[in-house]
Amino acid sequence: MIAQDLYKETLLEHYRHPRNRCDGPIQEADAVERGANPRCGDEIEIGIFLQDEKIRHVQFRGRGCAICIASASMLTEAVAGLNVPSTRILCEQMHAWFGDIEPAAGAPLPDSLQALAAVRQHPARQKCVLLSWEALADAIDTAGRE
Amino acid sequence: MSLAVQPIDDSETLNPEAVRRDFPIFSEATQSQRLHYLDNAATTHKPSAVINAITGCYAQCYAPIHRGLYPMAEQATSNYEHARRTLQHFIGAASPDELVFTRSATEAINMVASGWLKPRLQRGDVVWVSRMEHHSNYLPWQRVCREKQAQLRFIELTEDGQLDLDGTPELFTERTKFIAITHVSNVLGVENPVAALCATAREYGIPVLVDAAQSVSHLELDVAAMCCDFLAFSGHKMFGPTGIGLLYGRQQRLADMAPLQVGGGMVDSVGDGMEDSRWAAIPARFEAGSPDMPGAVGFAAAADYLSSLGHERVRRHIASLTCLAAERLMRIDGICLLPHAGLPASGIVSFTHHSMHPHDMAQIAGETGVAIRAGHHCAQPLLRHLGLTATARASFSVYNDESDIDALIDAIISAQKVFCE
Repeated sequence: MIAQDLYKETLLEHYRHPRNRCDGPIQEADAVERGANPRCGDEIEIGIFLQDEKIRHVQFRGRGCAICIASASMLTEAVAGLNVPSTRILCEQMHAWFGDIEPAAGAPLPDSLQALAAVRQHPARQKCVLLSWEALADAIDTAGRE
Repeated sequence: MSLAVQPIDDSETLNPEAVRRDFPIFSEATQSQRLHYLDNAATTHKPSAVINAITGCYAQCYAPIHRGLYPMAEQATSNYEHARRTLQHFIGAASPDELVFTRSATEAINMVASGWLKPRLQRGDVVWVSRMEHHSNYLPWQRVCREKQAQLRFIELTEDGQLDLDGTPELFTERTKFIAITHVSNVLGVENPVAALCATAREYGIPVLVDAAQSVSHLELDVAAMCCDFLAFSGHKMFGPTGIGLLYGRQQRLADMAPLQVGGGMVDSVGDGMEDSRWAAIPARFEAGSPDMPGAVGFAAAADYLSSLGHERVRRHIASLTCLAAERLMRIDGICLLPHAGLPASGIVSFTHHSMHPHDMAQIAGETGVAIRAGHHCAQPLLRHLGLTATARASFSVYNDESDIDALIDAIISAQKVFCE
């Protein structure tokens, strides 16, 4: 199979069978925020469900390329159970990992997100990874204000 | 038509293998795998004739132009003005004074929107563009209309991607002050009937700008036959250097246009007050700053190269590849071609897949050496109209052949295996 570098089997598996994806509007979340990339039309909505300052559950809906959908799906698993400050730190780390063309310094990607690591070699696709993480950071901010 | 071109036999078909030998990028020494370059609507590769012409400017005859009096400066100036005349003949303009070197087609269009139209546009006037414009031939008009409280309106499209001129009766009325239209759509590949549109517009005294960025590489341009007032294109989409473009304007139109940039080279006399300064004659008035002489020379070399291939041979070659690609893509389950009715004809095939994102298709294609484009192609108003946000696009040029289409089809089938199984 070609494209093994970028499209790891784990990534493709999340794309084909996304976790915690809603077909309709996300209901009864503590906050829902949207990330959009007008350059390719991708749109991801992230809804967070909080309990005792922890992320109990995350749902997403939207459309996008394989990387965008897989990233959102992995996000919902990676942050479930984390407390809010740790989630914020992870969002910031994702920005550092995927927002720079030079490989970012600092902590390694958690195992649950390793399948995304290859995207760092493809600057044009980094936004695809970050769309859901930016929406998550916005959702945390929104929930914190309410 | 061009000054330095040998007569060629238009009856022969183009030999893309021979053409590829003219382009160093396709040599085996350069590429580890065969490059199937199908992103020609974005930019084209450069033949040795162009690269050598530019190198020659720096290596053999480099000096400031329109300024120096020593022999090399005179020769450099002569080379620059010779390039202008080559391009004049290339587009059938009446005089070299009707050609302004710009940075790009985008800059050329902005010059007309701000320098010609803005001082004339009144509140309530109407400017028309088509639904299929590139952002470059849309945003400059949108901005000037907003600034002058004029209306910008769309010539909409029929189902098969043609201009719906019958559905636009208000186009040729007194309120219309300008029409800006693309010759060939960079997404749909359709060729617009610009000559007929310009002829009618002229009867009504409405100036027309034709954006030829997407047609110049494979359709013969003749501004006299086209009857346009302005025409813009860039060098890099027709095998020339990046960073240079051309504005053609009928002599009186250019004479009426205000220069956007002021500075060296565009002025005859400079007074202590602005009112005492006198601009240079056209076209120097619009070329403030040290002109890009090597760019212009490379641009002209590209025009000569294209002419040497023969416009008709180029047009036929690209049309046949486009049709073949469209036919073969249509046979792949899940592929949907744009426009939704009718075949693209002019070097461009845009398509979507019902379960693969264009970016994923383009990524997989790229890994097999097939370069296609994915995205909105700087034509968001069109994609919105089509209910799309992104498409994949293959676009063909003189160095492509059937093997590139084979590789494209194989790449899409590979992508299906990755994403759809």
